[in-house]
Amino acid sequence: MQLQSFDESYVERLQTGDFRTQEHFVAYFSELIQLKLRSRLNSPQAIEDVRQETFTRVFAALRDGKIRQPDRLGAFVNSMCNNVLLEHYRGSSRDDSLDDEEQPEIPAANVDILGAIANKQMAEKIREILDEMPERDRRLLREVFLEERDKDAVCSDFGVDREYLRVLLHRAKQAFKTMYLKSVASRPPGAVVAGKR
Amino acid sequence: MDHNEAVRQKATERYLLDELDPELRDQFEEHLFDCQDCALDVRAAAMFVEQSKGIFAEPEVQLGVKAPVGAAVKPGWLAWLRPAFAVPVLALLLAIVGYQNFVTYPKLMRVANEPQVGPWTSVNVSTRGADATVLKAHPGEGFGLLVNFPPQDGFASYIVDLYNPAGKLEWSGPISAAPAGQDRQIYIPGRNRLPGTYTLVVHGINPAGESKELSRHPIDLQIQ
Repeated sequence: MQLQSFDESYVERLQTGDFRTQEHFVAYFSELIQLKLRSRLNSPQAIEDVRQETFTRVFAALRDGKIRQPDRLGAFVNSMCNNVLLEHYRGSSRDDSLDDEEQPEIPAANVDILGAIANKQMAEKIREILDEMPERDRRLLREVFLEERDKDAVCSDFGVDREYLRVLLHRAKQAFKTMYLKSVASRPPGAVVAGKR
Repeated sequence: MDHNEAVRQKATERYLLDELDPELRDQFEEHLFDCQDCALDVRAAAMFVEQSKGIFAEPEVQLGVKAPVGAAVKPGWLAWLRPAFAVPVLALLLAIVGYQNFVTYPKLMRVANEPQVGPWTSVNVSTRGADATVLKAHPGEGFGLLVNFPPQDGFASYIVDLYNPAGKLEWSGPISAAPAGQDRQIYIPGRNRLPGTYTLVVHGINPAGESKELSRHPIDLQIQ
């Protein structure tokens, strides 16, 4: 997934239905929406419903020329997602929206073969990073991420504070980021990370 | 929230560790959706977290210690406890225990409680036997030694030793002093017994605990 500027040209391509741009748009914001929603919704189906409804409304807004600040496209998507989420909380069904309107076909978030290979390489890199960590740090991350224990309790058990945990994650992320950037940059538009959500 | 503030606050890490309060979280998300740098940061960190979970969920040995490629993993001795081995072995053991309880032991008990007819010879402790006493037995058949102790010899007890044809002590046992005129029988089992000259040596133990050899009797066992 190439990095692209969200500018007037990008928004125009979306409005004219450029498939590559739509693919990029959906793939890019799908990851962010899913990250955003996973702390707010428990069900994967609910997350998917809100994601789809958000894109449906954003595409409708694009078609209606309601995006007046192309450089704030991301903020607009976020705002739309918040609205859909609020409606979801209120128990409204997304079937109520846009029912009678012609809905644009939202490109699917594909998982490509090259992406799968890249994921394997990334997993190897992460394994390498974890291997190089002191045993204590590795166990700390294991208890927080895999076992999902209370973070304060884990930090107390390991004799560290929450800042230590943040720095540990920050360093790991920095070590991994170069590889990740290379991987996403080489992927075709529309391909998304085939990891767990 | 602007980019510098997000970096300064380690907002990416705090966001993924779920440490931001709702207001800060909303502010960061608003920035996140607009800032490709922060989005990349969050996506990379999220990918790290998700992949780490998978790696942590693997068996412990795969982290840190890498097994050589193609090396066969040797099963430990506990592998014998696997059902594939343990079940037939337990079944066999049950069959053996059942056979012993219902066939072997009753037969042995019956034999042990029946009168036995077999060879025997008498040994008179008061006479030192220079000539070997000949005793004939069938293969596997035991024999008896009827030991006669001299009356009123002043010994509190006796020790009887049996040496095999190779001259090695095979058995040794104490015998308390018998009333005058009474004999003691020693039964020698016949299982795996070799022919040859056995020697029975009798020691007297006086009240002070001192030992004295009283007699030595060669017994020539012939297996027929």
